[in-house]
Amino acid sequence: MNAPGMNAQSDYYYEASARERAQGLLDPGSFTEFMGPQSRCLSPHLAQFNLTGAFDDGIIIGAGLLQGMPVYVAAQEGRFMGGAFGELHGAKLVGLLRAAAAHKITAVLLALDTGGVRLQEANAGEMAISEVLRAIVAARRAGVAVIALVGGRAGAFGGGGIIAASCSRIIVSGHGRISVSGPEVIETNKGVEEFDSKDRGLVWRVTGGRSRALLGGADAYVADRISAFRDAALAQIPNAPPFTLESLQAEQARLSQRLAAYGTCRDATEIWRQAGLEPPAPVADLSEADYAGLSRLPEADHDAR
Amino acid sequence: MGLKSWDRQRRERQARLDAAAPLAQGKIVPTARVSALLRALIRPGDRLCLEGDNQKQADFLADALAALDPAEIHDLHIVQSGVVLQAHLDLFERGLARKLDFSYSGPQSAAIARALDAGKIELGAVHTYIELFARYFMDLTPNVALIAAVQADHEGNLYTGPNTEDTPTIVEATAFKSGIVVAQVNKLVDKLPRVDIPGSMVDFVIEADRPFYVEPLFTRDPAAITEVQILMAMMALKGIYAPYGVRRLNHGIGFPTAAIELILPTYGEALGLRGKIATHFALNPHPTLIPAIESGWVEQVHCFGSEVGMDQYMSARPDIFFLGQDGTLRSNRLMCQTAGLYACDMFIGSTLQIDLAGNSSTFTNGRIAGFGGAPNMGADARGRRHASPAWMQAGQEAAGEAGSLVRGRKLVVQMVETFGEKLVPRFVEELDSVRMARDLKLDLAPVMIYGDDVTHIVTEEGIANLLLCRSTEEREQAIRGVAGFTPIGRGRDRAVVERLRARKVIQRPEDLGISPLDATRQLLAARSVQDLVACSGGLYRPPAKFRNW
Repeated sequence: MNAPGMNAQSDYYYEASARERAQGLLDPGSFTEFMGPQSRCLSPHLAQFNLTGAFDDGIIIGAGLLQGMPVYVAAQEGRFMGGAFGELHGAKLVGLLRAAAAHKITAVLLALDTGGVRLQEANAGEMAISEVLRAIVAARRAGVAVIALVGGRAGAFGGGGIIAASCSRIIVSGHGRISVSGPEVIETNKGVEEFDSKDRGLVWRVTGGRSRALLGGADAYVADRISAFRDAALAQIPNAPPFTLESLQAEQARLSQRLAAYGTCRDATEIWRQAGLEPPAPVADLSEADYAGLSRLPEADHDAR
Repeated sequence: MGLKSWDRQRRERQARLDAAAPLAQGKIVPTARVSALLRALIRPGDRLCLEGDNQKQADFLADALAALDPAEIHDLHIVQSGVVLQAHLDLFERGLARKLDFSYSGPQSAAIARALDAGKIELGAVHTYIELFARYFMDLTPNVALIAAVQADHEGNLYTGPNTEDTPTIVEATAFKSGIVVAQVNKLVDKLPRVDIPGSMVDFVIEADRPFYVEPLFTRDPAAITEVQILMAMMALKGIYAPYGVRRLNHGIGFPTAAIELILPTYGEALGLRGKIATHFALNPHPTLIPAIESGWVEQVHCFGSEVGMDQYMSARPDIFFLGQDGTLRSNRLMCQTAGLYACDMFIGSTLQIDLAGNSSTFTNGRIAGFGGAPNMGADARGRRHASPAWMQAGQEAAGEAGSLVRGRKLVVQMVETFGEKLVPRFVEELDSVRMARDLKLDLAPVMIYGDDVTHIVTEEGIANLLLCRSTEEREQAIRGVAGFTPIGRGRDRAVVERLRARKVIQRPEDLGISPLDATRQLLAARSVQDLVACSGGLYRPPAKFRNW
């Protein structure tokens, strides 16, 4: 059977499972998984809710080579409980980040695909996110580049959005979304007038990859391909900024400026208009090539993060 | 005989028109006078069609009607295909209407069951579309029809646009039997793009305060198609479409048939089937059909209705779709249902529940969802008299050795995953609808497709060809033999099932040369709504809720 595409290894990032992403990002055959499903590390909480667990608790961690360079990789499985952080899920990531710092690994690729905290695990999930944040900071202080990749179904929301923002660099695709409160959460709390979660064009204009990259909420935009994420990671690792007081202050200044300039805007289109960067057509409808030709906000290229 | 008058209905009609005349300028009534207009035209006990189609809704007139005083207007008999708006239910809750004959309820299915149980609705019957349309011309002719169109001119000519749907049928029955036709329109214009309904059949036109609502019912997001559904789609193509050479067909609206549409250009192409199968469709304009159209699989499509976002695409493909000289789609539910009944060799669709005799239903506990068109699509047309290879082959298989005078059979294929949401078995001993009919004391248990019309059942475990079964026991074992790990499936007689498999009554994926490992999403010609947009060259404009970019 030789239909187009049949049996070929798919390169689509959005479509891929977490394990396919981890393997596909690294040099072929170089991925070694830590605490894989055969170790049967199940969430200690889910059974109390009669929920079926996963033997990897929805996150794949391991080591491999990126163009010959030893790196660590973690990939969340967005199709298992929305990629949400539970106690064990978080502990696996914390352990990987600590090991990266201890072994002076050049980079950790963090393929986020998460709605945030796993509600069933409540405080344990919240603590997991805090510990991950602390571990990222410690790893960056030790000189490890932590690269966030966002292009899955669940995006990077809740604590996942905060984790993305604390990484050295963020790479995003058009399907990727980054934010803290999700669209439905905002609508529920503030009303549909504030944010209509069913207006999916609006959701993507505000949180989606194309907008985030144009406004500086992400450092690189890529097409929906595993190979594109890999190439972008290779390009970003040498440029990862150090985690210093100066970089934090620069980031704080940049964000304050942005808030002052665009804080009253209700939609990304208003920001572009104010910045004099009106795109020729709705950004979502541009081809990848036309999108690549757009200019970002002047302050989007920065070395702060 | 001189005492008998023969024009009572006409005089009744004239009296009402006279009462309404002061409200109108010619046929045009100002928006604000809608209540006065309805009060002048409608009398208690009227049989009334408030156009509620599968997609298009006369929602402005529905809201106005539902707000009238039940002391003045009551005991209406509602005869319309779709009961889908809150206002439709309000007619009964508020005591304006009493009796109901309809086809489809969709979102109001639970509310109808509750109203029925509470005695608010006197249910005539739940029909199929063409069955209800047929009764418009027999014993359910409307006295008043309140319809929806896109535009009207000052003569009352109407442009119904791509969603023509039921309008010509409703108007035909009402206007020619001394009934009254009122149209809500989105806009009054001097010149129409085309005339779908001649003004001589329309009594009053009123501009609505908002465009009529259309629900995107036929958009299936390729991103949600599972590998199990793709496996079933592969089996259907290789095990049914190919051997019967099915060219003229109707697809249901479920994900398994969306998967079939999306693997025609990949898997179907690899099997060398282009031009040999799936060339002529009676089908709503499914966005998932775009890749098959673009890659030259589809010769033509006639549509029951339209689909939100597909208009520009269809206008740019006049060789495929039925368009007016103005370039926009003309759909027609009655015509398309008739095409599905008499001119299609196969219906293939998914169902929610199926029993040991192959009967299936989408009426689940506490919900009267209605039938729509599926029972006509999914029934052998006993009046058919033209032969085709697929139809004759099916007839031959059903007749076996016995037949000397063989008639053909329509292929009626049910695709069903053995377990549904929350791991509820789809195969059951007794349909929920049968129990519900007992509880609600309905005369007839609502069955979507009767087992004796079903020719094939496709599950992830295999295909059961019921045409080849020679006894009730064989049918039951053939069904059990593809029912997977459900209690029905585990109740199979293994030896009998293996014998049926040897006779190709049951075919597993491996019997068809299909490896389940090949059933991946990579086979889909479009994996997302965005891919469909790209495939259409940007002509398909998906509604906001289907975007993820």
